[in-house]
Amino acid sequence: MTMRVTQGMTSRSILQDLDNSRSRLGTIQREISSTKRISKPSDDPFGTGRTLQLSSELEGYKQFKSNVDDGTGWVTATEASLSHITETLQRARELLVQGGNDSNGQVAREGIAAEIEALTEAVKQEANVTYDGRFIFAGTETETRPYELGANDEYAGNEGSIKRVIGTGVELPINVNIKELLGEGNAAGDNKLLDVMRDIVTDLRGGTEENAENLRGTDLSRLSDNLDELTRVRAVVGATTNRLTTAGTRLEQLEEASLAQLSAVRDTDMPQAIVEFSTQQTAYETALRSAAQIIQPSLMDFLS
Amino acid sequence: MPVSTFTGLQTSLRGLIAQQEALDTTSHNIANASTKGYSRQEVLLSASRALSIVTGSTEGGSQNAQLGTGVDVNGFARARDKFLDLQYRTQAMRLGGLATRVQGMETIEGALAEPSETGISQELQTYWSAWEGLANNPEDPASRQAVVEAGKALATSLGELNGQLTEAAEVAEAQFQAIAGEGGEVEQMAKEIALLNGSIRSATTSGSEPNDLLDRRDLLLDELSEMGQVSVTENADGTIEVGFGDAATPLVEGTEVNWPQEVVEPKGKLGALLELTRAGGTIESFRTELNAFAETLANSVNAIHTEAGGPAFFTFVAGEGAATLAVAVDAEEVQTAKDGSVGGNDIATAIGALRGGAADRAYASFVTRVGTEMVEARNGETNAQALLNTVEERRESVSGVSLDEEMTNLTSFQRGYEASARAMSALDEALNVLINRTGRVGL
Repeated sequence: MTMRVTQGMTSRSILQDLDNSRSRLGTIQREISSTKRISKPSDDPFGTGRTLQLSSELEGYKQFKSNVDDGTGWVTATEASLSHITETLQRARELLVQGGNDSNGQVAREGIAAEIEALTEAVKQEANVTYDGRFIFAGTETETRPYELGANDEYAGNEGSIKRVIGTGVELPINVNIKELLGEGNAAGDNKLLDVMRDIVTDLRGGTEENAENLRGTDLSRLSDNLDELTRVRAVVGATTNRLTTAGTRLEQLEEASLAQLSAVRDTDMPQAIVEFSTQQTAYETALRSAAQIIQPSLMDFLS
Repeated sequence: MPVSTFTGLQTSLRGLIAQQEALDTTSHNIANASTKGYSRQEVLLSASRALSIVTGSTEGGSQNAQLGTGVDVNGFARARDKFLDLQYRTQAMRLGGLATRVQGMETIEGALAEPSETGISQELQTYWSAWEGLANNPEDPASRQAVVEAGKALATSLGELNGQLTEAAEVAEAQFQAIAGEGGEVEQMAKEIALLNGSIRSATTSGSEPNDLLDRRDLLLDELSEMGQVSVTENADGTIEVGFGDAATPLVEGTEVNWPQEVVEPKGKLGALLELTRAGGTIESFRTELNAFAETLANSVNAIHTEAGGPAFFTFVAGEGAATLAVAVDAEEVQTAKDGSVGGNDIATAIGALRGGAADRAYASFVTRVGTEMVEARNGETNAQALLNTVEERRESVSGVSLDEEMTNLTSFQRGYEASARAMSALDEALNVLINRTGRVGL
């Protein structure tokens, strides 16, 4: 027996097909207008999980980049400051050589001593430099001035290390332990910069033959040693700058890659979506047209 | 043996009556073409009892013959297939359950608002960024405040999401009560079925076929099976006994209704609502997962924050993490360095490095799970809908009213009626000749 097909069946199936068609059309339209393929978890559960993960990665990269920027500022300030200290020391060394020369009388040496004292103050001034309102050479006591100007050479900061995270699990120390370089003067007798500078001034003012010997001998070599140490520290700072620059570039690339992945997972493939939209639209219109033709006629139209 | 002069008239009259009733039935079908649950009806016709007559006298003696006397209407049959009804109800029950589950899940999925710029995942990222920002500026009071505010925003959102889960459970519970509770839909339908049982019994015992009442009762059973599993036992007197879900006593026995009763696994819509709200059900398991996420977050942050003797950053009540998560510190109490130095940032850095860790993963897997269960429910619904459509189509093919068919019938019954009337006229004319003209020769 052939299947009876009633008007009810026809209209129900037409309605269902139209509903389906319209809902598919609605889905694609939403994908196009929101530009997102995933607007709720059930659109693609695993894609949603991946989206959350990639967004978190992206946020992380953004933050790392801001850490790198902040660290770069800090290191640049450090480098500038150390460069000034180097220049000051070179000047001090010239003066020392001059002062050690026998032809200079005591009066001239007094003058040189005064200048070196001023240079010592300049070095301490450089050690007190700030970046963004913080003392960069005070360890982690960034709100404490590392050195008092004047005779007191005591270091007021600590030797804590300040680090910036420049990648997942990658920490980079960005501060220099200035106490290792400058020391705490004669009181500590630690052979560091301030100790040597103070000794030089003492020897310049002393006037004895022994003082003159010191000026030409130990003072000069101790100052040179400190200059070498300074150069070494500056090389480390330079390397830090390089690492920050490299990290910045790498983060840029990682961010781009993550963004591309995120877009591939989450965003609508526009050309494809638009083609599908037109296909569905055609299908919907065709369904409407055929429905209009199927529903209308019945036997009543043809019986007289 | 001669037959009555008027036998032919009687035969025609029977034809007229039968055709008229067939026309009436056709009209009834057409009138109900769009009535939900209506089954088309057919007139059951059969030739009426023949007259036995003795025909002429031949050499072999007289012979008996049967003279047709027209047509009888035996009844009105309902075109219905019980087995299709059973299949329909099974699928209606499945669809009812899955559609309800989809509705409930949609509420939950909507509450998540993921992936978006405003969901919890985004707030979590903001929170980690606040810590990393603080690591860059540990001296800055504004950065500390930012960490506290981001923590509070995160805790509030978690509390809200948890509240929405609770609300979804309450809505489902209320829906369950509206359907299964006293005076609810199930009871209403059961009462009507019981009433119909009574009317059908009196019709059946008096020998008539209450087609329209049966249709109405079948429709009620269809609707009832969306709510839960329905089992029907038919009795000889036309009444039915209706079992519902796993209720201990039948929902309807004759004209008696036994409701409300306790159901544990009613299936259908009620089953889906119970599955959403029951202990260990869908919503509770989501909430457990959300709590686990909140507690992982709080514990991992607190572990680092308290390392150097600082206060805990978050507080929460164990087992109710999502609802009770709160920031326990103010801006001054936010810890940044283990040595307490103003510019140290090891604590802030370590907390910032929790990004992408266990808490993030726990939340992402929670969202993925909600999505997966939503997809499963929706696929199930689509599938059940397709199956239901197939059964419905087959049932409609048996029981539905086809207007083309009814028009054809209408035409043939109309012609049948006209022809019967014509036959009556022919007899009438013949009798006219017999009665008024016979024997009047020569008058």
